[in-house]
Amino acid sequence: MSLALKHVGVLVDVTRCIGCNQCIEACVVENDLGELRHTPQQAPDGLSDRRFAAIVESPQGAYVRKACRHCLQPACVSVCPVGAMYQTPEGVVLYDYAKCMGCRYCMMACPYGIPRYEWGSTAPRVRKCNLCYERLQNGQLPACVEACPEQALLFGERDELLLEARRRLERSPNKYLPVVYGEQELGGTSVLYISPEPLDFLGFHGAPGDQPYPELTWNWLSRTPSVALAMGGLMTGLFWVIGRRMQAEEKRAARNTSSSHEA
Amino acid sequence: MAAQYRNWIKDGLWALAIAGMAAAVLRFTFGLGASTGLNDTTPWGLWIAFKLCFVALSGGGFTLAAMVYVFHLESFRPILRRAILLALLGYGSFIVSLLFDLGLPWHIYMPIIHWQHHSVMFEIAWCVMLYFTVLTLEFAPVILEHDWFRHPIFQMIYRALHVAVIPLVITGIVLSTLHQSSLGALILIMPHRVHPLWYSPWIPVLFFISAIAAGLMALVLEGFLVERWLGSQVKLDLLERLGKVAAFALALYLALRLGDLWARGTLPAALDGSWQSLLFGAEVLIGGLLPLTLLTSRKIRQTREGLLTSALLIVAGVVSQRMSLSLFTMWRPAPYLPSLAEILIALGVPAAAALIYLFFVENLAVLDEKAPLKIAPARVQLPMTWPFPFAERNSLNGIIAHRSGLAVGIIAVMLAVLPIQTAASGALPLNLVQPARGWRILWIDGNRAKYQVEFAHAEHQERLAKEMGSSEEACQTCHHLNLPQDEATACWQCHRDYLQAVNIFDHTRHQQILGGNAACQECHTVEHTRRSAAACQECHETMSPKEGQAAFNPMAPAYLDAMHGLCQDCHAQQAAAQNRPELALCKTCHSLQENPSELQAAIRNE
Repeated sequence: MSLALKHVGVLVDVTRCIGCNQCIEACVVENDLGELRHTPQQAPDGLSDRRFAAIVESPQGAYVRKACRHCLQPACVSVCPVGAMYQTPEGVVLYDYAKCMGCRYCMMACPYGIPRYEWGSTAPRVRKCNLCYERLQNGQLPACVEACPEQALLFGERDELLLEARRRLERSPNKYLPVVYGEQELGGTSVLYISPEPLDFLGFHGAPGDQPYPELTWNWLSRTPSVALAMGGLMTGLFWVIGRRMQAEEKRAARNTSSSHEA
Repeated sequence: MAAQYRNWIKDGLWALAIAGMAAAVLRFTFGLGASTGLNDTTPWGLWIAFKLCFVALSGGGFTLAAMVYVFHLESFRPILRRAILLALLGYGSFIVSLLFDLGLPWHIYMPIIHWQHHSVMFEIAWCVMLYFTVLTLEFAPVILEHDWFRHPIFQMIYRALHVAVIPLVITGIVLSTLHQSSLGALILIMPHRVHPLWYSPWIPVLFFISAIAAGLMALVLEGFLVERWLGSQVKLDLLERLGKVAAFALALYLALRLGDLWARGTLPAALDGSWQSLLFGAEVLIGGLLPLTLLTSRKIRQTREGLLTSALLIVAGVVSQRMSLSLFTMWRPAPYLPSLAEILIALGVPAAAALIYLFFVENLAVLDEKAPLKIAPARVQLPMTWPFPFAERNSLNGIIAHRSGLAVGIIAVMLAVLPIQTAASGALPLNLVQPARGWRILWIDGNRAKYQVEFAHAEHQERLAKEMGSSEEACQTCHHLNLPQDEATACWQCHRDYLQAVNIFDHTRHQQILGGNAACQECHTVEHTRRSAAACQECHETMSPKEGQAAFNPMAPAYLDAMHGLCQDCHAQQAAAQNRPELALCKTCHSLQENPSELQAAIRNE
C-alpha cells in the first residue's frame, strides 16, 4: 500500500531542539527497542541496535538529532547484493531481514554511518530508522515527530519541507546558516536540517560532495557486460588465431621436411 | 625434506586448523559480537582483508589457463594443474571465510534468488560462485584419473570435461577479469573510509593487474615450496618465464597506480612523513620497484635466489596493498583490534587449505600428468617421550591428541603474546556516562572498570524540582556549568555516607588534612588539574587499584569543583558578614564570555 504523499521527508530545525530525548523515547516505544544495553560494539554517538536515533552534541554545543537520512540515492540500497535494503516509492529506506545475508556492506558504505548491527545475536539484523513506515501507512506521523514538544521535527512532502526550510531561512537569516542540509549533498536526503552551525560532523569526513555515492560504483559496474564481452571475444579470438597460425606453421614445417626428403 | 620435518609441518597445519575450528565453535555459538573485534564503526575487519588476499594470490589460476589454452604456450602445461589447484583452494578459503564473516551464513544463497545488479557484491557473489564451479570442473579430471574412478560413467565425464575445456577456460578468464576487478570496486563507494593513497577510481583495474602479478609469483613460491617438500627438481626455466610475465604486469600496475595518484594530485601525500606514507613508500619501493628491477635483469631472474626474492617481495607487496587498504589504513572513528578467535579463524582456513593441497599433491597426479607421486609418507616413529597413556603415539588417537594439544598450545601462546584486548572481543572504551531507558536512568562507570552504577537521573531531577520549585535550579544542583555528559557532582557530595572509602576520592577532606589552600602542590605539581594529580599510591603505598582501573578516580571532583570549593564558601560568608552581596555573584570572579565553557576565572589571592 502506498501513501497519499509522493515523497515524504522530515525537516529538523536544530535551533528548536532542546535535547529532551522525547523523540527517542517515542522511537523506543514504537519500535519496541527495549532497554539500552551496553556493549563494546557500540559507537560513542549513541546509535546502536537498540537505538535508531540519538541526540548528539555538535562541536559548539547544539543538540542535533542523528538518525537515518533516507537518502534519495541511498548507498546502502545500491550496495546490498540481495535487495534487503530497499527504497519505497515514497523515499523511505527499509530493511528486509528475510533476504539479508549479513555481509554488512550497507554499514561500510553509508556515508553517515547510520546502520547498526545486532552483534550480540547469533542471527543478527541490521537496525536503523524506518521512518515509522507502518504508522505512515495508517495515516499517522512518525513517532518521533509526534513526540517532539518543540516542533523541532516537521513531517511532510519533501518539496514542501524544502519550501518551509527556505522560508525559515529567509525570515530569520541571523538564526541559521544559509543552507538546507540534505538538499543537495550526495544527491539529497529525505531528512533535511536547518541549523545555526555546520552539520558536517554528521557525515564521516566533513562536508560530502554533491555526487550521489551509488554513481561512484555504477560508473564501473555499468561496464561489466562490455568488459565481459570484450574479454570473452578477445580470448576466443586469440585462441582461434594463434591456434590456426600454429597449425599452419606445423603444416609448413611438415611440408618442408617432406619436400626436403623428396629432394 | 626429511619425513620428520614433513610431519612437523603437517602437525603444525593441523594444529592451526583445529584451533580455527575451536574458534569457529565460539563464533557460531555466541555470535560475531562475542567472538570478534568487529563493531558498529568497523563492520569489516581482518577476515575481509584475508579474503582479498586469498583471491589475489589465486590469480595464477586463470592466468596460467590463459597462457596454456588460449595462447597455446604448451610449455607451461606441467605447472597448469598446480595453478588450478592453488586457485581452487584459494577460492575455497574465500568461501569458507565468508561463511564465518556473514552474519546469516545460511542466507548465502540469497543472491541467486534476489537479483540486485546495482551491487558490486552481487556481481562478485555470482562470479565467485561460477568461477569456483569452473575451477572444480577444470580440476575434476585430475581426481577422475585416480584408480577409484574406473567406472564408465566417470570415464564419460572425464571425456566430456576434456572436450569442454576451452569454453570452460575462457569462461573462467572472463569471470576472473570481472570479479578480480570488482573486489577492488567494492571500495569505490567508500571514499570516506579508504585512505587517499590507496583509494583510486582505477582501483578495479589495479586489482586485476596486481592479481596477475601476485598470482604468478605465488605459483613461483609454490614451486620452490613443493620442491622442498618433495625433494624434486624445480622447473626453474618455467618459473623464470612466469617471473618475466609477472614483471610486465607489475610494471603496468606500478605505472598506473603512481600515474593515477600523480594525475589526481595525491602523490605529495606520499611524502608527508605520516606512517601511512611510509607504508605506502615501502609497499611501492620494496614490494614493487625493487622486485621489478630484480626481474628485469635476466641474470638475476635466472638464479634461484633472485627469482625467489622477487617472488617473495611481489607477493608481500600485493598482500600489503590489499591489507593496507582494507585493514591498516582504513579510516575508522573508533579503534578496532581483531580478536583472538578472528585471528585463529583467519589462519585456520588457509592452514586447512594447505593440508588439502598436500593431500592432493601426494595422492593425485597434480605435479605430473602421468602418474600420482604416491609419496604419502608413513608417519615415522618419533623417539620422543609420550605422556598420554590413553593412546599410542603413532595410533590415530595419538595423532589426534598430539595435534589438538598443539592447537591448545597455539591458543595459549597467542593469549600470552597478544594484547589483552584481542583476547576478549571489543576494544572500544565505554563512555563514562551512558543514558538508558530513554534517559530515565544513567549508567555511570566512574573508573571505567566496566561496572556501572545505575543512577536514577529522572527521579533525582523530578524530586529536586519539587523541592526547589524550579527545574532550572534542580539541574544546577548537580550540573554547574558543564554539559550533561560531562562530569556532574559526585554522589557523595550530597550523600555523605556513600562509598567514600571505596572508590571516591574526597578532595575536600584531603585538602583539609594536608593544610588547606597552601597544600595544592602536595599532589598537583605541574598544573592544577585532575589529570596531572599525583596517583593515590604516591602517598598510600599499600593501595593498589585493580588492573585496568584508572589510577585515580575520574569521579573525583573536577578542577571546577575544587577551585569553587576553595573560594565559594568564604565568599558567601563574607558577602553576608560585610553586607556586600556582589562578593557572592559569579561575575565577581568570572569575566563573562559568550561561550560558557570558556569562562575564565580571575583567581585573586585576596
